[in-house]
Amino acid sequence: MAESVFRRFSQQITLIGAVVLFVLPLLGIPPTTYLTLTLAGLAMGMLLFLVASGVSIIFGLMDVLNFAHGSLFAWGAYVGFTVFSLLMPWVEADSLALNLAVFLVAMVTAMITVALLGILLERVIVRRVYGNHLFQILITFGATIVLVELIRVFWGPNDEVMRVPLTFRGNWDILDVIVYRYRVICIIIGLLVYGGLLLILKKTKLGTIVRAGVEDRDMVQAMGHNIYLLFTGVFAVGAALAALGGLAMSLFSLQVYPDMGGTYLLFAFIVVIIGGLGSVTGSLVGALIVGLTYNYVAYLVPWAAAGVNILIMIIILLIRPTGLFPAGE
Amino acid sequence: MAEPTPVHLFHMSEKRRQFKSSGFFLKMAVLLLFILVPFLFPSFKTVDLAMQIVMFAALVASFDILLGYTGILSFGHGMFFGIGAYCVAFLIGKYGSPSYGNLILGFLLAAAVSAVLALLISLLTLRVKAIFFAMITLAIAELAIVLATKLSGLTGGEDGISLFTPGIFSPAFNLGEFMGIDINGRVVTYYFILFSCLALFLIMLRFTKSPLGRVLQAIRDNVQRAEALGYNTFLYQSISITFGCVVAGLVGALYALWVGYVNPESSLSVMTIMLDVLLMVIIGGMGTLYGGLIGAAFLKITQTYLPDLQHLAKDLFPQAEFLHNIMERWLLLFGVLFILVVIFFPKGVIGSIREYGARRKSRGLNKTA
Repeated sequence: MAESVFRRFSQQITLIGAVVLFVLPLLGIPPTTYLTLTLAGLAMGMLLFLVASGVSIIFGLMDVLNFAHGSLFAWGAYVGFTVFSLLMPWVEADSLALNLAVFLVAMVTAMITVALLGILLERVIVRRVYGNHLFQILITFGATIVLVELIRVFWGPNDEVMRVPLTFRGNWDILDVIVYRYRVICIIIGLLVYGGLLLILKKTKLGTIVRAGVEDRDMVQAMGHNIYLLFTGVFAVGAALAALGGLAMSLFSLQVYPDMGGTYLLFAFIVVIIGGLGSVTGSLVGALIVGLTYNYVAYLVPWAAAGVNILIMIIILLIRPTGLFPAGE
Repeated sequence: MAEPTPVHLFHMSEKRRQFKSSGFFLKMAVLLLFILVPFLFPSFKTVDLAMQIVMFAALVASFDILLGYTGILSFGHGMFFGIGAYCVAFLIGKYGSPSYGNLILGFLLAAAVSAVLALLISLLTLRVKAIFFAMITLAIAELAIVLATKLSGLTGGEDGISLFTPGIFSPAFNLGEFMGIDINGRVVTYYFILFSCLALFLIMLRFTKSPLGRVLQAIRDNVQRAEALGYNTFLYQSISITFGCVVAGLVGALYALWVGYVNPESSLSVMTIMLDVLLMVIIGGMGTLYGGLIGAAFLKITQTYLPDLQHLAKDLFPQAEFLHNIMERWLLLFGVLFILVVIFFPKGVIGSIREYGARRKSRGLNKTA
C-alpha cells in the first residue's frame, strides 16, 4: 500500500526531496560556507558522474555490470600521474597555456591508454560471459584484482602526491565566498562531458543505434547493425570516461593510490542505483545528489558522511526501485 | 506394516549404497584426518592451518548456499562473518566477563543480528533485481568497515578487541597429557570448533537436500518457471539468504573464539575475506558445498607456504628481478587464476569430477542397453 502512495505522488516526493536537500543544510551552515560547500559538492558530483555514466551506459546497452570500472579509473589516474611526472616543468610553469597543455596531454594519454585497456578487457574477458550476470560480476571482480595488482607492480604500492598545475591552484574570493579554481574546472569538464554525451546520443546516428540497443538489443541486431562492435566501442568510451574521472579526481584529492578505484566504484554504484541504471541524465542527477549531500553532511556530522549516501540509496530504492530516471529516458 | 513400494525399496537401497560408496569413505577419511591433526602434527602452525581450513570450508559452504543454490552473489558475506566475530567479542571481551553464559549469548546474538540484517537487505534489494544484491551488499559491507573503524569507542577501532575465553577454552586450562600431547584449552577449542563446523555443514547439507533446497535450485535455474509453478520466489530467496548469512555469522563467532581478537582488517574486510571466499568457492565448485573444503584447503595451504615458495623462486632464478616482483604480488597470480578458472573451469574441482562421473555412468548404461 505504502508503495502505491509513493508511486502516485512520486513527483511531489522528488520535489520535496530536492528542496530538503538544498535548503535543510542552510539551517546549520553559515551562507558563505554553504556556497563553498555547494561548489565542492557540485565538483565532486561532476567527477562521480564521469565514473557513473560509464557504468550506467555499459549496463544499459550490454547488460554487463562492470566491477572493473573502478580499476580502470585508477589506471587513468596513474597514467595521468606518469605524464605529469614526465612534464613536471610544464606543471610548475606559471603559464596558463603550458598548464592547459600538460592537462590536455595527460587527459588524452590516459583516455587512450585506458580505452585500449577497456577494449582488451571486453574482447578477452567480458565477451565470454555475456548473458550471465553472476559470471560477469565474478570475472570483472577478478579483472579488478589483476589490474590493481598490476598498478602495484608498475608504479609501486605506495601513495603518490599528485601536483596540480600552477595556475589551477588557489582560489578566488567572490563576496566572501571562497571559490577554488580547480573545482570550477571540474564542473566545466563534467558539463562538457554531459553535453557531449547527450549530443552524441540524441543527435547522431550512432547515438540512435546505442539508444535503440538499450531498448532492444536483438532488434538492433536484426536490423543489420554489428552489435558486438558497438559493445566494444561503448566499453571503450566508458573506460575512457573512467580514466578522465580518475585523472580529474586525483587532481581533486591531490594523490593517487592503487586502491583508489574501490572507493569511487562504490560511489558510482550508489549513483547509478539512485539515478537509474542505463540513463545518462539519471547518472548526472544521482551524482550531484551524492556529491552535495556528502559535502554537507561531512561538514555537519563528519562521522555520518559515509552512511548518508547509502541511506539516500535505500530511501530511493523503497520509493522508486528502478531509480529516478529509468533506463532509456 | 504395508508392503514396501518399488520407490520405497529404491530409496532404501540408495541409502544403503550411500554408506558403501567410495565418496563416503573419502569423506570419513578426511574427517578422521582433521580429528587426528593435533596428535599427528602438534605444531602451532599446522593446527592453526587445519582450523582455518575447517572454518573457511564452513564459511564457503554457507556462501555457496547463496551463490550456488540461490544464484545470488553477495559481497557482504564477509561482513556477516565479521558481525558474528564482533558479537562474541563484545560479550566475552569488551562488555562482559568470560563465562559460558555470555559465550552462548554471544552465539545467539551473532545468529540474531545476522538474521535481521540479512532479512532487511534481501527485502530491500530482491524486489528490484538480483544483481542489485551484489552492489548493495558491497556498499553496506564497506559502510560496516567504516563504522567499525570510526566508532572506536564502541568497537575498539582499528586495534579491535581482544577477548578472554572462558573455562575449558582458556589457554590456562589443562587436562593433562594424552597420547603425547597436552590436552589444553587450545586443543579443546580445536575440537569444539571442528565439531561445530561439522554440525553446521551437516545442517547445510540437509538444507540443500530438503524440498526447500530443491525449490531454491529451481529458482536459480529459471526464475520465471518457478514463479509460474506457483512458488513465491521472493520468499524462498529471502529464507535462503537469511540461512546462509546466519551460518556465516556463527562461523565468524567461532573464528573469534579461535583467534582471540577481532579487528576490521581481519574479520570485516571485503578485499581479504571476500576475495578468499570467492576464490575458494570458484576453485572448489559452485553449488556443491563440498567444494568449499577443497578450495579452502588449496588456498590456505598455498597462503601458508607462500613465503617458502617465494624463497624457492629466489633460489632457483636469482637473476629474474621481474619474477620476484610478481611473486611479491601473489594476489596478482590469484587474480589471474580466478579469471582462468571462471572462464575454463567454471564448475570447479568437485563439479568437474561429478560431471566426469555422470558421463562415465551414462556411457556404462548405454553399453549395457
